Amino acid sequence: MSDQTTPTVDNLREIAEQVWSAYLDPEGIRPLMLGETSEASSGVSASVSLTGAWHGHVVVTCSSEAARNAAAAFLAMETTEVSDEDMTDVMGELANIVGGNVKSMLPAATAVSLPHVVTGAANRFPTTRQICELAGTWLDEPFSISMWQSRELAEVPAA
Amino acid sequence: MRLILRRIVGQLGFEVADAEDGRAALDLLAGMENVPDLALVDWNMPNMNGLEFVTAAREDARLREMTLVMVTTESEQSHIVRALAAGAHEYVIKPFTSEAMIEKLALLGLVPTGANT
Repeated sequence: MSDQTTPTVDNLREIAEQVWSAYLDPEGIRPLMLGETSEASSGVSASVSLTGAWHGHVVVTCSSEAARNAAAAFLAMETTEVSDEDMTDVMGELANIVGGNVKSMLPAATAVSLPHVVTGAANRFPTTRQICELAGTWLDEPFSISMWQSRELAEVPAA
Repeated sequence: MRLILRRIVGQLGFEVADAEDGRAALDLLAGMENVPDLALVDWNMPNMNGLEFVTAAREDARLREMTLVMVTTESEQSHIVRALAAGAHEYVIKPFTSEAMIEKLALLGLVPTGANT
């Protein structure tokens, strides 16, 4: 794959803006604040894998509090009403939406997996390298979207 | 996503049932006395995906009148064509707003007069 078809942080930003506008911040008053990063002490990490013509992963990671806020916004409920299952479902759906939109930028023969959600630990992809990350805070909680490409493919020089 | 869709169509006055995948949806429909007016179908589901569900629903004479709307991140033209060819009536790409979904349903004549939109 040439660099021209490799998604960039600008692509992730555009997708994030659509997601925030549709679900997390429809009124435009609680945006994702890019560039302000801090480590989540206890986080939630949701990912989808892309396979076929392009191999890698799209990962949405945030603190438990941010995941709770996201579920509340997504499901139009109070944060106190959000269950752990709601958080898992919403984080998986966010990964699915971001991953699905990333997939549309990749060669047609690329498939997207069902989401995988991990709580209390980060998703690990040992045979990959991170190719871009959109990181910041949302409602003062860490939130990031990153892309990881299979190391083997990532190191093949462009033709 | 099921909860979001449940909320949107619930606001329109629909009675809503949901299933976790295409196979579960077919089982659910088989047990229903009345066929629903509308099915909102994700493409990316375990066991039986959305396209397989649409194909199966269209092959079932009992479900033939049910309106099928694909709700998915699969935005490639080829996917849209495949879904419509299989029998889906409309195609909504995620992320979508409530307004966009209601607009699609209105175009299909599925928003009751006086619904809370």
